Amino acid sequence: MENHSNMDQVFEKLGELKSFFVFGQKVVPVIQSIIDFMRDVVPLMEYVNNSIQESASKIPKAASQINSVTNATEMATSEILDIVDAMSMDLSKIKNELADLKNGFFNQRVALESYGNQHPNLNGQFEALQSGLSIDELETKVVSLEEIVKKIEGDSNNITLSLQVQDITSQQLASVNHLIQSVQKRLSKLMNDLSKKGPVDVSELEQEDENTRSATFNPDARYEKSPDKQELANELFNTGQKTSQDEIDKLFAK
Amino acid sequence: MALKFLVVDDSVTMRRIVANSLKAIGYEAFVEAGDGKEALTKLSGDDSINFVITDWNMPEVSGLELVKSIRSTDKFAKLPILMVTTRGLKEDIVEALQARVNNYIVKPFTPQILREKIDQILASA
Repeated sequence: MENHSNMDQVFEKLGELKSFFVFGQKVVPVIQSIIDFMRDVVPLMEYVNNSIQESASKIPKAASQINSVTNATEMATSEILDIVDAMSMDLSKIKNELADLKNGFFNQRVALESYGNQHPNLNGQFEALQSGLSIDELETKVVSLEEIVKKIEGDSNNITLSLQVQDITSQQLASVNHLIQSVQKRLSKLMNDLSKKGPVDVSELEQEDENTRSATFNPDARYEKSPDKQELANELFNTGQKTSQDEIDKLFAK
Repeated sequence: MALKFLVVDDSVTMRRIVANSLKAIGYEAFVEAGDGKEALTKLSGDDSINFVITDWNMPEVSGLELVKSIRSTDKFAKLPILMVTTRGLKEDIVEALQARVNNYIVKPFTPQILREKIDQILASA
């Protein structure tokens, strides 16, 4: 009986062994495919790592180029403003000259009328003299020139208004630059943490991003001539200034 | 009373545009500062400054911090302050109002708007 029991145990163990071999036969191809997968993936990972390093190394250049664009547009805008200033000074001189001309015409007309009054019997010569001097016609031309000068002044004001786009776009570029530099910091930290095989901790970077988010630029800056935002400001200030400071604070308390 | 403006903006372009706009509406006296810190220095060293026009987003000390700093002193508690900024969201405008900015212009602006806001501030002073 005891031998029979031992044999049962042997067969049971053989059965387990067989199951193990059967399982092994099934597992071996899976392990083989994992090894093949790893063989394919490792070069890919190396490629990705190299790409990240290469991209990270190009970021400072991109950031520097953006700064160069901002500096170049600021310089160009300054040059345009110099020209507009010079134009304004010239226009101011022209306006003064035209005003002098108008005064001169006025004085000539007064002198001519006085001459006519003093010499009433000129037998039509006075009218001929008056017509020859063409004071009215010249004065009309001066008025017309003044209108043109006024229009040029308006145009130069509009140029100045449009040049505000430089400040607005420079804030947008600063925002993009900030984003690029954040990506670089994150990539550097990621590479550093991966090489240490530790967890990736981005909380410090997120805090830094939050601190600098609105320091020197407005990421939402837009060049819009629509009056909507100004009207909103007008409305809030009109309402707010009729209210006491305590009430404003309570009204807008978060 | 003759007005002397302190124009505060980190953008050279914007300082020139504000200055040109002031000239266009008949104001000739102004000094400039590139950020809030420089503005505070100029303000404390020049008693003739009686009107501040400031941007919001600036390095060192921002426009909003500048306003809070100015308002925290008795000497400048009633100094007229006009904010000229790209920030046009409701929460930004409310924040400026809470900091006791006298009026607010959203860029881009025209000399006419600048004149209107200066006149409003002077009328309510």
